[in-house]
Amino acid sequence: MFTNLMEYMGIERDRIHMSWVSSAEATKFIDVVTQVTEAVRKLGPNTHFVKQQAKVA
Amino acid sequence: MSEYTEKMRQIAGRLLKDCTVEMVIGFRKGTMPMMNEPCFVTAPEDADSLVWDSNCGINLANYLTNRKEKIAVFAKGCDSRNIVNHIVENKIQRDQLHIIGVPCTGMIDKRKIHGMVDGEILEVTETEETVKVRTADAETLLDKKEVLQNNCALCIHRNPVISDEMLADPVEEQTDIDRYADVRKIEEMGDEEKWQLFEDLLAPCIRCYACRNACPLCYCPTCFVDESKPQWVGKGQDPIDIRTFHFLRAYHCAGRCTDCGACQRACPVGIDMRLLTRKLEKDCQEQFGWEAGLSLDSRPALDVYQTNDPEAFIK
Amino acid sequence: MTLLTIDKQNWTKGLTAAADQYQLFGPVKDKDQHQFKALTKGQVPDLDLVNTRLSPKDLIFPQSETIIEYSLDESQADHHIMKEAAKDYSPRAVVGIRPCDAKAVQLVKLNFDAPDVKDPYWLQAYEATTFIGMACDAPLSTCFCTSAGCGPYNAEGLDILMMDQGENYLAKVLTDKGQAFADAAGWNQATPEAADAFMAAKDAAEAKIVSTISTDNLVDTDLLELHGASFWDDVAFACLNCGTCTFSCPTCWCFDLQDEVHGKSGVRMKNWDSCMFPIFTVHTTGHNPRETKTQRVRQRFMHKLKYFVDKYQTGIMCVGCGRCVRQCPVNIDIRRVCALMNSFKPADACAAQG
Repeated sequence: MFTNLMEYMGIERDRIHMSWVSSAEATKFIDVVTQVTEAVRKLGPNTHFVKQQAKVA
Repeated sequence: MSEYTEKMRQIAGRLLKDCTVEMVIGFRKGTMPMMNEPCFVTAPEDADSLVWDSNCGINLANYLTNRKEKIAVFAKGCDSRNIVNHIVENKIQRDQLHIIGVPCTGMIDKRKIHGMVDGEILEVTETEETVKVRTADAETLLDKKEVLQNNCALCIHRNPVISDEMLADPVEEQTDIDRYADVRKIEEMGDEEKWQLFEDLLAPCIRCYACRNACPLCYCPTCFVDESKPQWVGKGQDPIDIRTFHFLRAYHCAGRCTDCGACQRACPVGIDMRLLTRKLEKDCQEQFGWEAGLSLDSRPALDVYQTNDPEAFIK
Repeated sequence: MTLLTIDKQNWTKGLTAAADQYQLFGPVKDKDQHQFKALTKGQVPDLDLVNTRLSPKDLIFPQSETIIEYSLDESQADHHIMKEAAKDYSPRAVVGIRPCDAKAVQLVKLNFDAPDVKDPYWLQAYEATTFIGMACDAPLSTCFCTSAGCGPYNAEGLDILMMDQGENYLAKVLTDKGQAFADAAGWNQATPEAADAFMAAKDAAEAKIVSTISTDNLVDTDLLELHGASFWDDVAFACLNCGTCTFSCPTCWCFDLQDEVHGKSGVRMKNWDSCMFPIFTVHTTGHNPRETKTQRVRQRFMHKLKYFVDKYQTGIMCVGCGRCVRQCPVNIDIRRVCALMNSFKPADACAAQG
């Protein structure tokens, strides 16, 4: 539901990934990290929800 | 509607006289057109201050949490579902409440009406089907159906789901209502378009928290926006902080919100934050088959784990 | 004090000329409501309104304002030094402010420009601002300015007071600042003979006010007795403790300081705060002297209608603009509360505190 809400607000679907990985599943961990890195890199730098300093007066 | 008022006064007077309850929560006539003020009555002779009409959109379940008295409360369909939620979440005990169910055909939207007439509105009167709006220069007759609050136009639970007595016979539930047409339209937009839509929607927000405070579900002793150690969300007017407040509040209400519309009604700048809450309501229904506040016996969808909960989004 | 006539044909020209020397602010329509916004060069304020939804107080008292900043980045020359955030206090002018909002600025000034303590941010913004007011000829039924120490043609706090005469505006230049603006705009057609017309319009406007409050007993009523009155629970019940009344009120002045840190840099911000918020009075110990809603609601009305009255002896801390009345989501009405307070008679001199 959370990823749905983020997508609904304009965050690209592929920016947020969820996975259950145990510390005993090293291979799976490598796979997931690689997948996520590739997917997010393809989207380019994120410009939303980036707050360096409050944009106020 | 005036029969509702009469009956309410009678019921309140009776409940107070025979000490069934210590206080009755309802509405009294407001000082502005299309406004009523939530109030409480403790003396039987004050029961005559109670009124009911199509301007009773504030959710009275909001005033129940953490109270210790024996209370009678007038509850519309949506309010009653919030009361169920409160009992399930332990914010009030069932035996403290004497719920007077109020079958409801919808509340009118004062913003919509202001937009339909010119000049200051001096008086608004209503019948079963119509609303008469008087300004200095004119009187306009409107069809009540055209000026209902958005959530009331889409309502599928007009009759209270829990009550100790009913004020009137149940009204016909609306059928063939598509509650999520506008949500789906947004879902179909491109990412940048969606981002901009919410940027524009939330731009007027002044962080007054009227939406949060009008919501019966928002009862946290310290809201996440008020925390400072750690500070989850900035307290200023930065657009990211404003957006975070709104979507995160909606998320805290996911699976619990009954779309009573009090949040939108309370907002002084007219933000339709229900675009966020109804997206979550739609998802809850599609993913968990869940509708909030219908039964005292089930816990909200995000409270319980079931083996058939959707998992496809997890790698 | 000069009385000028401004032909409406020259209005835009005048404002555009003045925009060379002043940053102009005025009411701008945004969907269904007006708000005070910065005007671009050549843009005229939309004066087809009674008043804006929120007050113009954010022009000299922004809702969120950075006041101090620092950077730990050693490649920057001023690293590890806390410095005041750069601000632009070049001359600005608010065009179309109503007399109620202008008087409210003067009430707020009592707090921010006190003999012993001054708010530099508010004061600098205030001193850079010229207030060109527009008198009210069609007040709302919720306006009660005439019984709140103000009025639709009140001049307090204004540098120029204008009225609309149809084909032209009449402008009363009240101060040197106002004269400077009139010169910058090239408005110089003096018409002293119009003084009677001005007075007549003033009387007509004041006669249109239908809502009034009575404040004559507030000074003499004992503060503690009023504090212990039995009606506060009833007044406070509906209240949502949101910030709508405080944020829309032109005389509310409370603020909160917040620090925000992002990696190697940080800021201190000043944000509007509200006595309605539950954590407004929380101490660092965790103790909260105004824990209950009734205590907070009572405090707000006591401040507006009693504490301020006693402290400054210049009337109530309200100008009758009616914004809180129109916007309160649960219709808590300051006029009703004022009536309760003004007609309050202590039952017994030894009545226990509520």
